[in-house]
Amino acid sequence: MESGGSSNPKHKSNTTRTPNSGIVIREPSAAPANIPGNVADLNPEQTFKRDPDQYMPIANVIRIMRRILPAHAKIADDAKETIQECVSEFIGFITSEANEKCHREYRKTITPDDVLSAMGTLGFENYIEPLTVYLNKYRAQDPERAPMQHLPLVRRGATLVQPRLVAQTSVARPPPPQLPSQPTMRFAPPPPGTFAVDGRNYVELPQIGDYFVGNEGGGEGSSGNYQYDPYRQFR
Amino acid sequence: MRQAGAYSKLVSGGRSGPHALPLARIKKIMKNSSEEVKMISGEAPIVFSKACELFIEELTKRAWAMTLQGKRRTMQREDVASAVITTDLFDFLITLVSDSVPAQESLPVLEP
Repeated sequence: MESGGSSNPKHKSNTTRTPNSGIVIREPSAAPANIPGNVADLNPEQTFKRDPDQYMPIANVIRIMRRILPAHAKIADDAKETIQECVSEFIGFITSEANEKCHREYRKTITPDDVLSAMGTLGFENYIEPLTVYLNKYRAQDPERAPMQHLPLVRRGATLVQPRLVAQTSVARPPPPQLPSQPTMRFAPPPPGTFAVDGRNYVELPQIGDYFVGNEGGGEGSSGNYQYDPYRQFR
Repeated sequence: MRQAGAYSKLVSGGRSGPHALPLARIKKIMKNSSEEVKMISGEAPIVFSKACELFIEELTKRAWAMTLQGKRRTMQREDVASAVITTDLFDFLITLVSDSVPAQESLPVLEP
């Protein structure tokens, strides 16, 4: 489903998806959209409804707001709705800039890098670092999506790790319980041929941040024998 | 939307699995923003999921500061509007928050 008839890319104007459903989108007054054939079908009473599909769910918005506000704070309904609208405007604003960047570079797909770069351009450079961390964490934990699934995972000072079936790790996590058969190790793959240990799922890990491809040197001998402890600060 | 494995929830407190904001909705809003937006990588909505959190937090903080200035405990729409007006970063929202009359004045114009 694509939106149609929008004459101003900067202001969203959700249009012809359901021409006669009676749902009208609130539009900023500065951006009149051309929706041929639809306006005449709408009753005045229906023009004040908001299409929920073009906003973030209000419950989610409120939950995030409450994290910031003191416990006794109250939020008027129209304030909640305003913030909801602002979020959608924010998404559209950044997306337009990211899309323009793609066009300039003759690419068709908006990537996370485009989004981050657009944020930098539009003044949200403070967001870039936490978003980068977040994205890397996400890639570490959802390796089906990660671009680099099949490269071996190595930490500094460690020997080459088995490329598959490695325990999930992430920079910010505390060390998991140690495996019973290898008491000195923190993060280690199970011996070859085994899968779940203690019911946990082991998945492939991509390369992120400090992870290197290949053997870093300082080898400890045969694989399966590790002494690195990247999370020393978590002891 | 993919779910993180059981192990990641165990050690990371569970926030890294389901995202705070629905990715499909984000994608829809991205597509709505412009006719020219055609293809969106799978990870772009994920970045937005977190970015919108940061945005909501920042806007809320500033709006609440306006509420406190007015010696109130209930955040009103005008507080959000004041926060937008007083923050350069939020200039792109000025038109949105300065609408004091919903919809009626913004009916789309028919093409001849």
